[in-house]
Amino acid sequence: MLNEPQLAALTLLFHRGSNEASLALSRWVDRRARVSVDRVEQVALADAAGELGDPEQPICCCLMSLAGGVTGQLLMTFDNAHGLALADIIQGLPAGTSKEWGEMERSAVLETANILGCAYLNALARSFATTDAAADVLLPSPPRFARDFAASLLSFALLDQAAASDLVFLTHTEFHIEDSPLTCELLLIPDRHCLAALRHVFDH
Amino acid sequence: MPAPANSSRMASLPMGEIAVARSSGALRTLLGSCLGLALYDRKLKIGALAHIVLPDSLGRDEHPGKFADSAVPHMIHRMRELADNHPLRLQAKLAGGANMFATTSAANTVGAQNVSAVERILDECRIPVVGRHCGGEQGRKMTLDLATGAVTIEIVGAESFTL
Repeated sequence: MLNEPQLAALTLLFHRGSNEASLALSRWVDRRARVSVDRVEQVALADAAGELGDPEQPICCCLMSLAGGVTGQLLMTFDNAHGLALADIIQGLPAGTSKEWGEMERSAVLETANILGCAYLNALARSFATTDAAADVLLPSPPRFARDFAASLLSFALLDQAAASDLVFLTHTEFHIEDSPLTCELLLIPDRHCLAALRHVFDH
Repeated sequence: MPAPANSSRMASLPMGEIAVARSSGALRTLLGSCLGLALYDRKLKIGALAHIVLPDSLGRDEHPGKFADSAVPHMIHRMRELADNHPLRLQAKLAGGANMFATTSAANTVGAQNVSAVERILDECRIPVVGRHCGGEQGRKMTLDLATGAVTIEIVGAESFTL
């Protein structure tokens, strides 16, 4: 896994992604958004289930699978109330209008995940830019929506890393939208190949 | 995270762990594409639950609960320790192995491979599978009742049910 100097260097690089994503979210919801939590973590597999709060609570998740220069999973997550509040904001509806996850509500948060995720990934691409143009290309899949137990979602996203190690690496960013109680979280979970590439960047 | 014998409380298992206990209380785990395996002896009321992540340990022995091929023998070994020389008559129940977000064809998922590996090993050990709820695209909360051997499955947005 990554050593302390590598983690410290990566933390600085991932901050750029968080800041770009925060700006994109602000523009998208037309309200100020700020990063309230931003950390790079390496935790025991057995402890990772608590990374999104109570592991047994259902949460909403928009997942993008990543190919290209950064490979793994990018998850935007929120609890039910905050997700529906976000759908209201995006659709220009009074707060409390959306009560359940219909097509429009899902579409609103999926588009948010797309904008937030792509801003984050674009910043990372600039941070990690190499002389190999092909390796710098990022190919995120369209986001997909699920509402499930937090631990179930995390175990799915961590599966690739778990195959190689009992320690898992992830970046965790929490966004808060001002003038609202709304928060959402963004987790980048690189796969084994991406982690090896990140180590290589710092070793050379 | 092993649960103590005769535990009367609910013990929650994280990824890759095994718990063994008897008589009362419950063992629980949350599953996505991982597989939950419950083994139970109805007469001795000894139960074990594993949260299996991958089908094959490839010879690694430091974390037996994580892999199908090492989890099953390890569960049986620890149940025998609790059985006080009584022979075990085990039954198995399986849950999990979801293809969450339908990221690939269902047949090629790690979840499906976990199910196949565990079923093959249980067959070799002559342990019948008496209940199963595997596949699909959603996570599951799996709870083994140590007093009865009943396994309850909870899925977000659906009624819970018992295997």
